[in-house]
Amino acid sequence: MRMTGRWTGRLLVACACALAAAVSRGSSPLDLNSLHGRVVYLDFWASWCTPCRQSFPWMQAMKDAYERQGLSVVAINLDQERDDAERFLQKFHPSFDVRFDPQGTLAEQFKVSGMPSSVVIDRHGIVRFTHIGFRPADGDTYENQLRELIAEK
Amino acid sequence: MQLKGRPAVVRRGLIAASCALLGSSGARGQEAVTSGGGAETDGGQIDWLFDSALAYYHENGRVQAIEPVVNIRIDDGVGESINFNLTYDSLSGSSPNGALPSNKPQTFASPSGKSLSAAPHTYTSASGQTSVESAPIYTTSPGQLPVDPKYHDQRLAVGGSWQMPWSRLTRASIGGKVSYEHDFLSLAANASIAHDFNQKNTTLSLGINGEGDAVRPIGGAPLPASDYALFEKTGTKSKNGAGMLLGLTQVMNRRWLSELNLSVDRFTGYLNDPYKIISVIDTIGDTTGYLYEKRPDERTRKSVYLENRVAWSRASAALSLRYMTDDWQIHSDTAQFRVRWWTAGHDQYWEPTVRWYRQTAADFYTPWISSAATPTLLYASADARLGAFNALTYGLKYAFKLEDALDQPGSEFSVRLEYYQQTFFDKMPAPAALQGLDLYPGLRAILLQVGFSY
Amino acid sequence: MNRRRLRRLLIVGSALVASGCSSLGVKPWQRDILAREDMQLDSESLDNAIDDHLYFSKEASSGGRSFAGGGCGCN
Repeated sequence: MRMTGRWTGRLLVACACALAAAVSRGSSPLDLNSLHGRVVYLDFWASWCTPCRQSFPWMQAMKDAYERQGLSVVAINLDQERDDAERFLQKFHPSFDVRFDPQGTLAEQFKVSGMPSSVVIDRHGIVRFTHIGFRPADGDTYENQLRELIAEK
Repeated sequence: MQLKGRPAVVRRGLIAASCALLGSSGARGQEAVTSGGGAETDGGQIDWLFDSALAYYHENGRVQAIEPVVNIRIDDGVGESINFNLTYDSLSGSSPNGALPSNKPQTFASPSGKSLSAAPHTYTSASGQTSVESAPIYTTSPGQLPVDPKYHDQRLAVGGSWQMPWSRLTRASIGGKVSYEHDFLSLAANASIAHDFNQKNTTLSLGINGEGDAVRPIGGAPLPASDYALFEKTGTKSKNGAGMLLGLTQVMNRRWLSELNLSVDRFTGYLNDPYKIISVIDTIGDTTGYLYEKRPDERTRKSVYLENRVAWSRASAALSLRYMTDDWQIHSDTAQFRVRWWTAGHDQYWEPTVRWYRQTAADFYTPWISSAATPTLLYASADARLGAFNALTYGLKYAFKLEDALDQPGSEFSVRLEYYQQTFFDKMPAPAALQGLDLYPGLRAILLQVGFSY
Repeated sequence: MNRRRLRRLLIVGSALVASGCSSLGVKPWQRDILAREDMQLDSESLDNAIDDHLYFSKEASSGGRSFAGGGCGCN
């Protein structure tokens, strides 16, 4: 699913209002402003979401392939129990950024309507694509979208 | 639907999936890869689940059965799956034939028999060949419930279904089943569609099903309501049915799921039990003869089913209620309550269950017919299944997860024991000669089952 | 008597539908408990199949149940 330019400018404000308190790994809050200039693949996941077991290897592959070219993968966990999330992470040990949002504040902000969901933000902080659900067959399409945004300056 | 994370092969399409499943032996048990390889994968992961159980059923003084069941499900992880199941059951023992106990001994012929005489008969077939057969008969002592002591039946049923996604919010499925017994053959097919609303909090589903059965009783199908001693039996009969089900599932809150189903079905054709008879008694109560039963050739049933499931961290409970009514004037109420308690390590659970059931009798149900009434009889059956009774089931299941031991999510071993009891009510006052006899013995049975999932 | 009972159950059911659908439910990320194995409507399908076979052969009622919906709601 794609949403092109719907939230122009508003996103910057939203990020600023961030979710500093709600979304953090350890004590450092997520500040999407700091990622301005990079393409951000923001993924919303949970340990009980079975398609996430397929999206994680794919996201890892994307991170490995395109990080140097300007891609940042950030996975926001929405588990109510932190232990469940940790167990999942121990199995997949991703090297991309993982943040925790048990209250769902960031999910609300981005109007997550299915699990998993991902939002692709371009270098100017505008949401360019939104995906509901993850199907491995769509991996190539998503990858092409990322390459397209990475190529933009 | 429960999905297990067991990546085996990476290919799209169910046919490819099945071939791949058969071809890949060493790939099961691997955990998801955590890096690289992404460029070459072009599809999803195939998951399969093997579910099996062996049940032993024993009725007090009556029949016993052994029933292995196997179900295999292959899932591509993105909404498409196929299911195969196989059921075999072998039933043997003493089965009531519908006749009443009497103060005198009674003689009956086994279903293959053609007379009540114990002497051998000479039969001439259509091709002119003759054979001598001794008529299989059985006798019932005074005061005993007439049962066919050598009842035995074997059944093999094979079924399959295919579920496919149509869109993110809609999915459809089709399925079929064949059931074979030496005196009965059934073919059934079903199709359904489900659609999600409100961010998948609400699901609406519609299903239709059809069935065609061939009734081929041993010895031929008896002429309904005919005199038992005349053995008027002919060939094969059939019955057909069709039904529809409308379902609404609603997430109430984070811990509570509710489901409501409305269904209707209609069967037409030969609906009699070919092996059941009814005792004809005189005014005192002595048995003067027997008639084969006769049921209407049409039956329409409607039911409402409501289920609620609630969960907490260590336990979950499910309460289901069903109300059924049909045009034979049978109405039934069913209530079943199950609770599952998980142990501290969340690797074992105990699940007690209780089920309460009550049904009213069919309007043509009659434990006996008085000889004066026989000429005016329209329909009659003494089959206890159509009578008025309460039934209670108490059950306990214990299971432990084998997920860590076998490194397969969803693996489990379970044991289940159930006690089932039927008690009749609404009993007709018995005539003099039948006083003191137990005309409504009811039923007591246990079910013991072991299960294994992988 | 039976028609009244049927009607009563139908009213309960319709109330569920009418009051329910848009106001009831949870956010997509709050389905952790609903995703649990024991909260699936088809979780004990083999046990149910064996029980249904028993009740079908001893009672006059059968079926009436389907199992679509609930669960994790993923994809």
